[in-house]
Formats: sequence, structure tokens, C-alpha cells
Amino acid sequence: MRLQAKAAKAKGRGKRKVVSDSEEEAQVVMPKKSTPKKPNSKKPIKRESPNGEVTTTTDYFASTGKSRPSRSTPTKPKAPSEKKITASTTKNTPAKSTPKPKATPTSRASSRRKAKANYTEPQDDEDDEDDTAFVDKGDDSADDIFAADFKNSRQTKEDKYNKEDDSEEEVAKPKRKGVRAGKPSPLVDQEDQVSAADEDVTMKDTNPDDDFVVPDAKEEIQVNKSINGVKARDRGNTRKRKSADSEVHDEEKDEEEEDFDPPAKKPKSIKPKSPAKPPPAKKPRTSAHKDDVPESREVQEIFDSIPLVRPPTPPAAAAGEPKKFDYRNTGSRSQPAPAAGSKEIPIGAENCLAGLTFVFTGLLDALGRDEGQALIKRYGGKVTGAPSTKTSYVVLGNDAGPKKLETIAKHNIKTINEDGLFELIRRLPANGGDSKAAEKFAEKQQQEAQKVKDMAAEMEKEERRTGGAGGAGGGNAIGARASNGDSASSGKIDNRLWTVKYAPTAPSMMCGNKGQIEKLQTWLRAWPSNAKTHFKKAGKDGSGVFRAVMIHGPPGIGKTTAAHLIAKLEGYDIVESNASDTRSKKLVETGLKGVLDTTSLLGYFAGDGKKVDADKKKLVLIMDEVDGMSAGDRGGVGALAAVCKKTSVPMILICNERKLPKMKPFDYNTYDLPFRKPTTEQVRARMSTICFREGLRMPPNVLDALIEGSRADIRQIINMISTAKLDQETMDFDQGKQMSKAWEKHVILKPWDIVSKILGGGMFAQSSNSTLNDKIELYFNDHEFSSLMLQENYLKTSPTLAASYSGKERALKLLELSDKAAESISDGDLVDRMIHGSQQQWSLMPTHAVFSFVRPASFVAGSQAGHGPTNFTSWLGNNSKQGKLMRFIKEIQGHMRLRASGDRHEIRQQYLPLLWYKLIGELEKQGKDSVKDMIKLMDSYFLTKEDYDAIMELGVGPMDMENVKIDSATKAAFTRLYNQKSHPLPFMKASNVLAPKKASKERPDLEEAIDASDEGEEVVADAANEDEEENLDLKKDKYVRAPPKKAAPKKKAPSKAKGKAKEDLEDELDEDESEEDVKPKKGKGSGRGKATPAAGRGRGRK
Amino acid sequence: MALLVDKHRPRSLEALSYHHDLSERLKSLAQSGDFPHLLVYGPSGAGKKTRIVATLKELYGPGVEKIKIDSRVFQTTSSRKLEFNIVASVYHLEITPSDVGNYDRVVVQDLLKEVAQTQQVDQSARQRFKVVVINEADHLTRDAQAALRRTMEKYSPNLRLILLANSTANIIAPIRSRTLLVRVAAPTEAEICQVLRTVGVKEGWSEAEGLNKRIARESGRNLRRALLMFEAVHAQNEQVTDKTSIPPPDWEALIGQVADEIMAEHTPQRILQVRAKLYDLLSHCIPPTTILKTLTFKLILKIDDALKADVIRWSAFYEHRIRMGSKHIFHLEAFVAKFMRVLESYLMGMDF
Repeated sequence: MRLQAKAAKAKGRGKRKVVSDSEEEAQVVMPKKSTPKKPNSKKPIKRESPNGEVTTTTDYFASTGKSRPSRSTPTKPKAPSEKKITASTTKNTPAKSTPKPKATPTSRASSRRKAKANYTEPQDDEDDEDDTAFVDKGDDSADDIFAADFKNSRQTKEDKYNKEDDSEEEVAKPKRKGVRAGKPSPLVDQEDQVSAADEDVTMKDTNPDDDFVVPDAKEEIQVNKSINGVKARDRGNTRKRKSADSEVHDEEKDEEEEDFDPPAKKPKSIKPKSPAKPPPAKKPRTSAHKDDVPESREVQEIFDSIPLVRPPTPPAAAAGEPKKFDYRNTGSRSQPAPAAGSKEIPIGAENCLAGLTFVFTGLLDALGRDEGQALIKRYGGKVTGAPSTKTSYVVLGNDAGPKKLETIAKHNIKTINEDGLFELIRRLPANGGDSKAAEKFAEKQQQEAQKVKDMAAEMEKEERRTGGAGGAGGGNAIGARASNGDSASSGKIDNRLWTVKYAPTAPSMMCGNKGQIEKLQTWLRAWPSNAKTHFKKAGKDGSGVFRAVMIHGPPGIGKTTAAHLIAKLEGYDIVESNASDTRSKKLVETGLKGVLDTTSLLGYFAGDGKKVDADKKKLVLIMDEVDGMSAGDRGGVGALAAVCKKTSVPMILICNERKLPKMKPFDYNTYDLPFRKPTTEQVRARMSTICFREGLRMPPNVLDALIEGSRADIRQIINMISTAKLDQETMDFDQGKQMSKAWEKHVILKPWDIVSKILGGGMFAQSSNSTLNDKIELYFNDHEFSSLMLQENYLKTSPTLAASYSGKERALKLLELSDKAAESISDGDLVDRMIHGSQQQWSLMPTHAVFSFVRPASFVAGSQAGHGPTNFTSWLGNNSKQGKLMRFIKEIQGHMRLRASGDRHEIRQQYLPLLWYKLIGELEKQGKDSVKDMIKLMDSYFLTKEDYDAIMELGVGPMDMENVKIDSATKAAFTRLYNQKSHPLPFMKASNVLAPKKASKERPDLEEAIDASDEGEEVVADAANEDEEENLDLKKDKYVRAPPKKAAPKKKAPSKAKGKAKEDLEDELDEDESEEDVKPKKGKGSGRGKATPAAGRGRGRK
Repeated sequence: MALLVDKHRPRSLEALSYHHDLSERLKSLAQSGDFPHLLVYGPSGAGKKTRIVATLKELYGPGVEKIKIDSRVFQTTSSRKLEFNIVASVYHLEITPSDVGNYDRVVVQDLLKEVAQTQQVDQSARQRFKVVVINEADHLTRDAQAALRRTMEKYSPNLRLILLANSTANIIAPIRSRTLLVRVAAPTEAEICQVLRTVGVKEGWSEAEGLNKRIARESGRNLRRALLMFEAVHAQNEQVTDKTSIPPPDWEALIGQVADEIMAEHTPQRILQVRAKLYDLLSHCIPPTTILKTLTFKLILKIDDALKADVIRWSAFYEHRIRMGSKHIFHLEAFVAKFMRVLESYLMGMDF
């Protein structure tokens, strides 16, 4: 095999190069370097299988010789070697292989290892020999044939990467191999048949694996340079497809088989490497399969014990062999054994979780939630929030959410714990092996990659078309690239920003918002005809009545680009104005005058040798950053809105925030086109195209991380990529994460998020790497609320620290934790006082953060599940309620002051219960009968009806207002009686003074004036004489009487006369007087009763 | 038909039924013509205000009982308007600066100066000075007290101050040194019983000696409270006997419930439930220290002797915190948590 490989290399470098290039390119598109290896491994298997079908082993060997060369490129050799090992054990010579498989999986593994060792050596040799030239050619071959030598270095790097990857793979692979060996046979047969049937065409279409797909495309472009290689590949591809199909069949057949299937698929993927092996491989596989069956049964039993509807996937098969797989039954939610200490996080094969969907629930022992998700994403898996039928695995932690558990039970989703996840990562082959999910995923990726290639090609074409004239300055490199078609070119010598360079040139190239762009286009297209009808006809989408359009949406999603693009496409000449221009009212009015009624000169003149195009005289005005009109642009918005109503050229306005109040003038004047953030998928395709063209390796999961990190801000992503391109050729997941974190736009968390983040337990888990500063930072997301929110919710967790206790000990531990947290919160309040109190020590904020937020959370952090929703702090509500009731108390105390000596606390604590009883309690018990006594009591303390309500509200516990049941008849009776009578007021409040004043102006009635003046005199007299009978205002009359008082007498004796009520405190006098007083009041009241009608008359007259 | 407390309030020094020596001294002070600034302190319900009013009457005659409420508007430096009520007769003013919270300094400065700078209008008045009674003097801020100290000396010809406080602890030393300290001790239970009896006789209610004694004990030697309880008992029962139960005030009943809840279950969830009740109490204007104190004494009755010292210690600890801090619920809750933990750990005989 090795010899063959070498020979192949030696022979057909060109062909090889092509193949290798394709692979490598595919790699570029694909997640990581390691992926290429996988493809390689897959390919050989496929080839093998085709060989097996068509030819005998000998033929096969011969063919392999041909086919191999292509793959034999330095990178491949390594991967092939591994694969070969696996394949060799099974495939190479049927006879040999068979015995080994029989021997048992372990023996196979050993043989493989040996084989690997052999391989590695040759590989090294090859590498050394080929090193620059050979390797280089191989890698970039498609491009490189033309391309310069500089690539070599790159390639070598790549090779190294590959090697590393290989080694990793090796570590991971051994386990798989055994499995694979056993499984493939049935699959292979199917594949063979299919492959025979399939032709090149099918290959292209189907290309299941991304890697494969890419090569195919390239091959096509290259015009089938190496027919043999191509055929082989094609077969491989077709096989792959078939394999997917076969998988399905397999699954149907047996769960066991399914378990095996994944491995079988893997071998398929290995196709390209050792073509010779396939035929034998089939046989050995079958045998191995048989051998494995018992094992699989055991595994199966394990699985059977778990109520899984769906058959297990590769990992499950792997689980069969060794020890750890802890499948958590959904039924037995019992806490997973708490894995003390942090576990080592495994390093898996590239993209090994491809196509699998995970859901996390509960608190993992060693992994934080975020870390877990990052881990899965790093290996190409998908993480969703809630389990569904599409979920492959639920990673179950402590205290899983009950809701999720329910769904899991309902859909019979497989659940694993952390160890299971690690096992998965450790065992799964690169690219998810042959599992159905991985296959689908691979298919999807291939399609995507194909798209990327197409797009790249398109761009290339476009560039050549446009740039051919202008941008010849690129020098050799550029020339080479152009000729190559799609080369992964290093940065062009091009001083344009990437954002400009890769600005879309067709609506189809825009990411997202297709509908809006279309609308914009139709609007602009219809504009001239609408102008003829004077914008009277709304048209289909109602846009016909608008002379201007308003595009709004977050930054970086292509608003300006879309506007320019559409304008260009529709043949408009663009006049742009943005925040860099002053746009005050005056300037907008005068400045735009020159634009609005004019046409473009382009309609009359043209550059050298070009025809004058009369259509070009259309103008469009693009007003960018409209919300950026600031204080300096006074009146600009209004003026612009006015212009929008009468403009004679189409206007496109662009802004970020449409809802700002200052944007209001544009309501109804413009046709609103909201642009939304494009989805990750929409952006990813475009970004991978750019990466591809720039020769930057950016696996999809890395791109996704960037996109998510930047919140789909396309401009920012492109900038990030271009920055990354400055010093690296590839970017791996961690780098991507890091970068997007560094570029992260700061998002301020809502109080709810803050508190659930800190209390969720993730930040305090042993495995968490968030620092104290991170936690303090969290507090500062909303420093006013975070501590309050924490205080509100800190008791609603199941603290992690108490997880290891049970029964009474747990109860005590919980109390201890709560106590510590509460004490810390109490400490925090002292700090708060220093900050917000008279000291104003704002530098203590971090201290407050620690005491009131971080430290309490450190005690009680844990799952919040089962403790109800995160509540908003109730402190604010209670505080304002306290303020309100305190005002009531003050009011009551103010009224009672002439009688009672207590301060407001004494009033509340000592008087109120009795007053409540005498007023409300009696009313409740005795009904109307008590009303008279009530009113007497209230009058004696100068309590008003409002005070009565306040007393009612102030009751607590047994006197809670909620418990008071006074039937409405009684209430009505009380109100009526109370209103009938006149009541003493201790004084007129200043606030009460104002309203009557106005009233007095309205109705200066003579009778009243006389009446009032009398009283006024009395008041004055009172003030002068200091003692006389108390003046008791009648409540009813307050409004009638008050104005004159205030108007005349009050001014005379301002301070003293204001408060009218004077009281005699002497006992005897008191009683007598009060009786007397009451009578006079009533008298007055009746007198007033007369007076009021008079007032009414007065008004009537007026 | 006022409540008994106010209806039967003594109006003159002679009518006061206990602390006769103190009454004598006040009387002689009032008659001496050299009336000093007074700082009257003592627990609530001991009769401070009653004595002051009686003393004023002694100073000025019955004219001082013709009082009215005056509403004034003050403007703070930040041009915020404060409404402030003054109880006044021609001879004296009674103010409660703590009504306006942190702005009490403004009131003290403006009002006192205004009063102090004018002489007594009534030439026939017995005294040339006017008296300003400052309620809740122990709640005055430091600023306000500082504003007070110079005023007391500078305007002494026109102005005498009578400060009323529950304790002298919060009053700065310079003021204490400028005033004559008058302590009004709480009446003994026997004295309270005697008052109750007289009042009962005046009202024509049947007398129940045992009940009176219980009321006296329950009231914590607070005469006002005793009288109010006395009236409450009589209002709610046609016939009172020695065994008639005394209805606790609403808030105390609620605190009793809280104590029961705390004793019944010790879990964080229970703390949450207790928190709701504590919030209820706080928002209904029950001072946090009162809550804490009442709660502690209710809890103390239910726990083992060995724990009492510890619980009291923590109670004191958190009461201090309440004074130091601003969000009282935090400290109350911390006390509840602490209590639960201490109790649970005692019951289980272990600790972490």
C-alpha cells in the first residue's frame, strides 16, 4: 500500500495535486484542518468499495495505484495511513484481514497501531522529500498549478496541522476502528451497487461530504484533468450517498446494525485512501460484524435497559466496548453521582459531534452551561434550548428542569450526563463518523460549501469583469488568481476595505432582508410613474403614495449598501448626504433645493468614448444616518420631513432608530422599510465565501461564533475577518470566540438576566472560570437593581453547596447558607448607606457589589428550577407603599395633634388599633347604628373621611383591609350621614388654599362676600384676641367659604389666621364648647345651605 | 367624645397623679421667672408632653391652651417646598422638625430665628420670652442640632426651648450642656392601676382589679397605651372581669403570627413567607426596631433557655444594623435566617 501510494505520488502529481487541492480547499471551507483527513479516510474506503464491485483485488490494487496518486499528497498520506491501518486490517487482503477481525477487536486495534506506525514513517519521509514542491502542489494544486511558490510554506504548515490532527485522530480512532471493521460489509455492498450505477454527474450532485463536494466542484472546473481520479472520487461520492441510504436501511433492520452502521459509514468516508483495500474490506467487515454482534448485543442490552425508541448512534456502539457510558434514564432522574473535582475535558476529533443536537438541563458537575455549549459547538454539534424530537441527546445535570424532563420523557429522548458527553467527544470519529445525523450534516455542509464555491466563482467572474479594466494592479498574484478561477488567494494588493471590496453587487448577494430589498426596488422602479400620477395611487404594496422611503434597522446589516445597490441597479445617479454634512433646517432647505429639481449630468455627458445614456439623468437622494441629526442640525429633521412631502426626486432615508421621538416627523411621510438582523445561516454563506476567496480557513462553527458574537453585524464580521487575515491563515474556534468577545458590543443585561446568571450556579461552579471581576462586572450591568433583585430571589434556589447533604443535614445546611447570604446582604446594606447616605462614598461601589451581590450568591447559587419565576424586587413597591402610608399617618397625626400628644409612631401603634376598632370594627359589626358615634369620634379628633379611609388601609394582620367586610348599604349610609353633617377642620392646608382662590374669581357673589367678610372679621378677631371660640370649618362649606377668607382676611393675618382652628383644651370648656360649637356649625351649615344656592344663582346669572 | 386618654388628660401640674416631686420642681421653675431651656426625656407614655403643657400653663396661664395649627411653607436650598405644620398659641410654638426628614435644619434655622428675633407681642404676658417646644428632639439630624445650639444662647432673651426626647443618646453634648435635663420616668404599674381606676370611675365602668393589673403589665408601663388598652377592652366587652382578654394591637398580633411561623418551620421557603409579612408590617409604618424587638421577645418565650442569650445577642446585633443601614427588611430577614439557623442547629445538636 505504501509503495503504491508513493508510486502514485511520484507518477501523477498533477492529478494528485488536483485532488489534494480540492480536498484542502474543502478543508478551508470546512470547519478545520482535521476535517480533510477525515474526508481522506472516507474516500479511500469508497474507492475501495467501487473497486470491490467492479474489479478483483488485484485490479483494485492496480486501480489504487492510479487513484492514489491524487490522494497521496503529503496531507493525505498521514490520514490514509491511519485509515489504511483500519482498512488494511479489514480490507487489504481478504485473507489477512479476516483472521484479524476474528481474533477480536483488540487484536485489530493492535494491528492497526502497527500499521499506523509504518504509515507515519513513510509519511514523514514523503513529507520531507516532497516538502515544499510536492506538498505545495498537492495542496493548492488546482490553484497552484498556476500559482506561485509562496503557497508552499502555507501548505507545509497545513501539512503539519494535518499531522497533528492525524495524531489526534489516531488517539481517538482506535476505538472506532474495531467497530467500523465489523460493520461496513453490508453497507459496502449496497454502496458498491449504487456506485456502479452512479456516474460522474451524480457525484457532483450528491457529494455527501463537504470535502468531497469541494473537490468535485474543483474538478469540474478543472475540466476533469484526471479522469481516473475523478471517477474514483465520483464513485466514492455516490457511495457516500448510498451509504446514507444504506444507513437508513440498516437502521430499519436492526438496532444493533445501526449501532454498527455509523462505523461502516466511516469506512466509506475513508474511501479515497486505499483503493486496493475495499474488496477485502467487505469480507473482513462482515466477519468482524459477526464477531461484534455479541458485543453489540451486550451494548444493546444496556441500551434496552434504557427506554430509547431510537437506536443508538455511533457513540452508543462505542459505549458498548468500554466502561463509562452512563446513560441516564429519563425515568430515573436520580442525581448523577456528583463527580467530585473537575474532570478533564476530552479532546475529540474535529467536528465529531457534527449533526447532533444537544440540550443541556440541570447543573453539570464539571462543566458550566456555557462551557458545555461551547464545547459542543466547538465539535460541530448544535445546542438548542429545549428538548424536542429532533434532539439527539439531552445532557442531564443535577436538578434538571422538570419541564425539560417532561419533554424528554414524552419524546423518549436519549439522555446522557457529562461523562457521556465526554465519551461522545472522545470516541466519535471526525465529522461525526457515519451516523445519520453526521451524514445529513455533512450533506448540508457540502451543499453549503458548493454554494460558497459557486458564489466565489461568481464573485470572481464579477471581479474579472469589472476589475479587468480597472484593477490590474495586483501583480503576479492577482493575475494568477484570476486565471485560476477560484484560488484561495492571500490578500490582494488592493487598498480597498474588505467591506467595500466585498460589497454585494447584486440583490441576490445581500444577506437577509430580501423582501425589503425587493420592496425598495419596486418602489424605486415605480417612482417615475408614481410621480406622473402625483403619488395618488397607492399601488400594490401601498408604497405608491410615498415620495420617500425610510430604511431602518441595527447597524451593519446592509441598509446603506442596499440603498446604493438598488439605486445603481435602477440606473439612478446617487446624491448622498450623511452625518458628516451639516443638516440644519436652513441647510437642508437651501442645500436640497439644488438637488431636488435637477437631473443628473450623466444623462448628458459621458466619459471618454462612452455613449451618452439619456436614462442616466435620474437622480436619487440618499439621506444616511438621519437619526444622527444632532443638536447642531437644528430643525433639520422637520425640514427634511417637509422635503419628503414634496420632493421631485426619490429619497431614501436611512436610520437606526425609527422609534425615537425626534423621528416622529417622518411618520406618514415615508414608506417604512424595517431591516432585520439576518440569520446566522444567511450571513454564514456570504462570510465563508469571503474567507474562501481570501484564503482564510474559517470552519463554520467558528464563523457562527463570530456571527453570534457580533449579533449578525455583517460589517463587523468582515472587519474581524480582515483583521484576522493580517496575521493568520486559519482561525479556530477558540480564537473566533476570543475575537468576537474582544469585539463584543457591550450589551447591558436586564435585572432578571443578571440575577439568574449569578444565581444559576454556573458562575460559581468549580469548573467555572469566571473571575471575581466578572461577577462584579455583572453587578454593574445595573447597579441599582442587581442587589435588590438578588435579595428578592436569593432564597429561591437549590444551592449547589448543599447538594451533597440530605435529610436533616441538608435542611441545616440550607439554613446556614441562607443565613450567610442574608448576613452578607445585611452587610451590603451598610455599605449602601455609606454610598447613598450622607457620605457619598461612591468608590465603595465594588465593595457593595461584593457584599450585596456576589457573596450572597456564592452561598446560595444553584438551580433555580422549581422555585417559581425570578421575581422583580418587591422592595421598591413596599417602600413606596410605606411612603404613602407614612404620609397618611402624618396627616392623621397632624389632624389629631390638637388632641393627642403622641408622635406618629405612637399614633400608629397605640391609637390606631383602638380607632380602627371604634370606627371600622364597629361599623362592620353593628352597621348603621354605629355611624353617629363614629362621626362624633372622628370629629372630636378632627379626622376627615380621607383619614377614615387611611385608617382602614393602615390596618395590618387581623385588621387587614382585605378582611374588612362592610356591606355597601352601611358604607353608603356612613358616607351620606357624614356628608350631611359639617365637620370641624383643625386647619386649612396651604395646598387647599389655592383651589378655592380660583373659584372665588369665578363667582364673586355679593351675598357670599358679605357672608365671608363676616367670617373673615371673626378670624381676624380671633387672631388678634387669641382666644375665642374655635372656628370650625364645615367641610361642606370649605369651598364656598374659603375663597373669601383667603382673598381678604388671610392676607391680612397671614400666618396666624391661616390656621383657623383653635381649640380649647380645658376639659370642661372643651365639652361645653364642642357642643356649642357643633350647634353653631350646624347653624352656619344651614345658613350656608342657603348661601350655596345663592352662589348657584350667582353663577347662573353670570 | 374623645378617647379616654385625651379626655381625662390632666391640664395642670397639680392634677398630675404621679411624680409629684417632679411636678413640684417644674412648678417652682415656672414661677421663678428664670426659666431655663429644658430637655425632657423619658419613655413614651410617661407623661412628658402632659407635663410640658401643664408647665406652660403654669408659665403663661390658660391662654396657652388656645392653640391652633399653622401651616407654613419653607423653601430648601434646592428650592424644594416643604410644608410644615406648627401648633401654636400666642405664647408658644410646638414643632416636630423630624416631620420634614432631612430638611429639619432648614426649619430649625428659619423658624427659630424668626421667632427668636421678635419679642413677645402681648405686653400683658407673664413672661417676656416665648417657648418653642421641639418634639422628637432625638430624631433631629446632627445638622439641625448644630443649628440649634447657637440659637439657644444668642436668642435666650426672647426664646426658651423645651426639647422632648425619648432618650438623650442622640442629642449632641453641646445641647445637653445647655439644657436642664428633666427625666420623666415611666409610671409604675401601681400608678397606672391607680390612673385606670380613676378613669374607670369617671366613666362609670365596672372595675376589675385583676384586669387593670394585667393591662398595666401588658402596657410596658406606658400610660397612654394602658389607657388605650383599657378603653379597647371596655369597648369590646360589655362586662369585663379579671379574666377578660386584652386584645393586642393589630401589628402585635401579626408579629405573633410571624413568631409562630418561624417556630413551626425552619426553611428558606419559610423565610420567604416571613419576609412577606415583615414587608407588610414595615409598609404599614411599624418601625423596624419595634418589629425586631417585639419579635425577639415573642420568640424568646418559645425557645430553650440555652438559646436565649444567643438570640438576644443576634437581635441586638441586627437592631444595630437596622439603625446603621437603610433597607430595614434586609436586616430583619437576616435576623430571621440567623434565628432559624441557630435554633435548628441547636435542635439537631450539630453545626457546620
